[in-house]
Amino acid sequence: MKNALIVNNLTLSVPSSKGRVTVVDDVSFDIPAGTKVGLVGESGSGKSLTAYSLMRLIKDPVRIDKGEIYIGDREILGMSMKEFRHMRGNDISMIYQDPMSALNPIMRIGAQIIESIQLHSDVNHSQARKLAIEHLASVGIPEPDRRIDSYPFEMSGGMLQRVVIAIALSGEPKVLIADEATTALDVTTQDRVLTLIDKLAAERGLSVLLITHDLGVAAQFSDEIMVMYAGKLVERGSVNQIFSNPVHPYTKALLDSRCDYTIDVTKPINSIAGQPPRPDNRPEGCVFSPRCEHVQLQCREGVPPLISVQDRLAACFRADELFHVGMVH
Amino acid sequence: MTSVATVTNVSRTFKGKTGVVHALDNVSFDLKQGHTLALVGESGSGKTTAARVLLGLDTPNSGSIEILGKTLGSLKHEELRLLRREIQVVQQDPFSQLNRRHSVERIISAPLIAFGIGDKGSRREQVIELLKSVGLEKEHLRRRPHELSGGQCQRVAIARALALDPKIVVLDEAVSALDVSVRAQVLNLLRRIQEERGLTYLFITHDLGVAHYMADEIAVMFRGRIVERGNRDDVFNKSRHHYTVGLLSSVPLATPSATKRSREQVQSLPSPGVNDACLYRSRCSVGLGREDCKSVPLQITQGSETHSWLCHSPVEHR
Amino acid sequence: MKFKSRFSFSGFLILLILGICLAAPILSPYDPNAIGVADSFSGPTGKHWFGADDLGRDLLSRILYGGRITILIAMSATLIALIIGTLWGLTAGVRRGWVDEFLMRTADATMAIPQILFALVCISAVGASVISLPIVVGILLSPTTARMARSAVVTELSSDYVVAAIASGTKRSRLIISEVMPNIAPQLLVQLSINAAAAVMLEATLSFIGLGIQPPNASWGTLMLQGYAKIWNTYWFVFFPAMAVTITILAFNAYGERIRVTMDSRRSSI
Repeated sequence: MKNALIVNNLTLSVPSSKGRVTVVDDVSFDIPAGTKVGLVGESGSGKSLTAYSLMRLIKDPVRIDKGEIYIGDREILGMSMKEFRHMRGNDISMIYQDPMSALNPIMRIGAQIIESIQLHSDVNHSQARKLAIEHLASVGIPEPDRRIDSYPFEMSGGMLQRVVIAIALSGEPKVLIADEATTALDVTTQDRVLTLIDKLAAERGLSVLLITHDLGVAAQFSDEIMVMYAGKLVERGSVNQIFSNPVHPYTKALLDSRCDYTIDVTKPINSIAGQPPRPDNRPEGCVFSPRCEHVQLQCREGVPPLISVQDRLAACFRADELFHVGMVH
Repeated sequence: MTSVATVTNVSRTFKGKTGVVHALDNVSFDLKQGHTLALVGESGSGKTTAARVLLGLDTPNSGSIEILGKTLGSLKHEELRLLRREIQVVQQDPFSQLNRRHSVERIISAPLIAFGIGDKGSRREQVIELLKSVGLEKEHLRRRPHELSGGQCQRVAIARALALDPKIVVLDEAVSALDVSVRAQVLNLLRRIQEERGLTYLFITHDLGVAHYMADEIAVMFRGRIVERGNRDDVFNKSRHHYTVGLLSSVPLATPSATKRSREQVQSLPSPGVNDACLYRSRCSVGLGREDCKSVPLQITQGSETHSWLCHSPVEHR
Repeated sequence: MKFKSRFSFSGFLILLILGICLAAPILSPYDPNAIGVADSFSGPTGKHWFGADDLGRDLLSRILYGGRITILIAMSATLIALIIGTLWGLTAGVRRGWVDEFLMRTADATMAIPQILFALVCISAVGASVISLPIVVGILLSPTTARMARSAVVTELSSDYVVAAIASGTKRSRLIISEVMPNIAPQLLVQLSINAAAAVMLEATLSFIGLGIQPPNASWGTLMLQGYAKIWNTYWFVFFPAMAVTITILAFNAYGERIRVTMDSRRSSI
């Protein structure tokens, strides 16, 4: 299958009191066309910075030290900002946690959608307005011909996120990045917005990168899952592989520490001891080794590469062994 | 089972831009000694107002609140202050609930100082004890909030809430801002502390999973009303209110085997029916077609000793 | 996530100015009031670095001594503004309701009076002295301080840690002094700095229109007034005192700005 997005060896750093420290460390992945990939990680794992790199939104003091990003077959990190601006919205779009960050609070939403439509295609104002109403209808906004004249503050969070989705998709991009796009919403609203993204992706053959800290969201709305920890991609596989049979101890531990209404309430939750390392204090060897239950000497000495294990990718020296033995607490 | 706090028919309204908002609409619940009640609901359901009212930070328009035999509204300023020894709070934001200019020692000893307990030396001993009981070390004494992680800040907030050895702790979205792995640690800690000290928790959360894990009893709130209330099994396995069912089916589960739920139509984005007797009617698949849900005032149905709901046509279970 | 050195040029400059003024008796080459007719109207020379005035008084010495008066008045005025303004704002922000309404409307009203006019009336009534000038300037500066203090205190009072403090039984007096005050201190420091600059400016203005310290003593403003008449022939009469005022005001403003920026970046990095 053709890849809609390829990331090679992406490495990002920030300054700290100890000099520049790496926050995203040699991350490589691809997203096949028409696939929804969930990128899961805790705060500080580097998942959002990875997403921002795809939109070239990395700003000082964060720096891209290394890496290539291909959208379709064009490398974007090397091209001029002017060139890339044409790709934003037309080839790749992003929606954020706070819809207001993407909207102008004092402009009617219709004007904002029309502006975006006219930026991407050569239509006159009344045609664009018609299209805007269609877009609003397609994201499930009731009475779109009336709502188009609303201001952002007149709409709820879920509605605004729909408007942002309409704007993001108005240029008919191939890749959509959703960065914690439903985190701030109530569960029932989250469900509707995610279902909407699901439906639109299916209709338009979109490739989606769904960035979330919520394992449930990733499980329900992606085809494949990538897990990040402390700037590293530690495991990648299908939803089934990751959620029924993870091979990386971090993935396993993360799943065990979740608290949804299906878990056994009579026992304590299997939490991971300690906390994720700060970027200026990353351990030697495997980044997860200090908190890992299966740690061995080699884990502290060398950095495990992301390699193919049991039909998926995992960055753990013991992945294959743990798959066979099974990870039991 | 003795009740340590009873909230009876409490209403609280706010004047909003578009009229009067019923943050709490005739809400009643009680907290049983050593148990946990979870108030579950989405934003704007009134759960935080309920917490504020119970903490005496807000005054209801009507209804009564009794804590350990004392009626809140009748207390003088100083009496209310003294009652605060028995009811403490942990809030959502790990950082902002701690004074950013104070050290951990000063933050945790603040309640002790407020009630003139001990001298400087004995307070330090006590703070170190508290730190240990929440899984922190003596070395954290001198730190300031910004030098700690979110999970550590939350532990400090818990230690502060325990300083006066209260009977009741209100946990207002206390784990919502934490990452998955850290949240599990804090939840385990909260359960352990409850067991050790016989604490009573009021657990305010939007997260059904957390409520399920923490609470003996769960009250589901919707737009200022408690629409369903029962023990864990009642609410999660035998839910009667359509809102509870909808809420449960909206939670994405981290299991691939879970059959993808039959999802609502994308197009349905109902406008809230303000004048309906049942506030959920406009979103309810059953209520939409029923006239009584629109016009007949709701009464609490007591289905069993533990389970009650506010619905004319509850979900049937075989 | 920016790493800035602790050294601040503006802070250093302020200390330098204060130090020089304090040490005026040691640093001054001449008695500021000593008349030497031979040197009258002397331009800047090796003997008189900043020149001499119509009576042959050494301008450098007069500026150093004048600085003492200007700085003394400005400092006292700033302190008075800080005390009045903080109490004013705190009372409004803590009590709220009609007290707040009354105090803030009073602040608005005070700010609406033209400063110079107000000073003119007051000084004409009680006369200009090192006592009356700081009080008048301090009163003029206090409403802005009050507004700032009020808004800071209202913001802090609505924050989570205050809820936590109230819920753990902290008394109101303790809440304000021990919990809230440390958090609004940096903002007060910024205001202090802005006020100091404004006070220097006001003192200079008042002296310039003849409402300042009376001869033979002279503040920077008085020196400028004396030099102004002869600006076309003897520029140094007015130039050097004006420079002193400008540099001092810039230093105070820059210092305030610096604290504000550090404060903001610290807050956003948390």
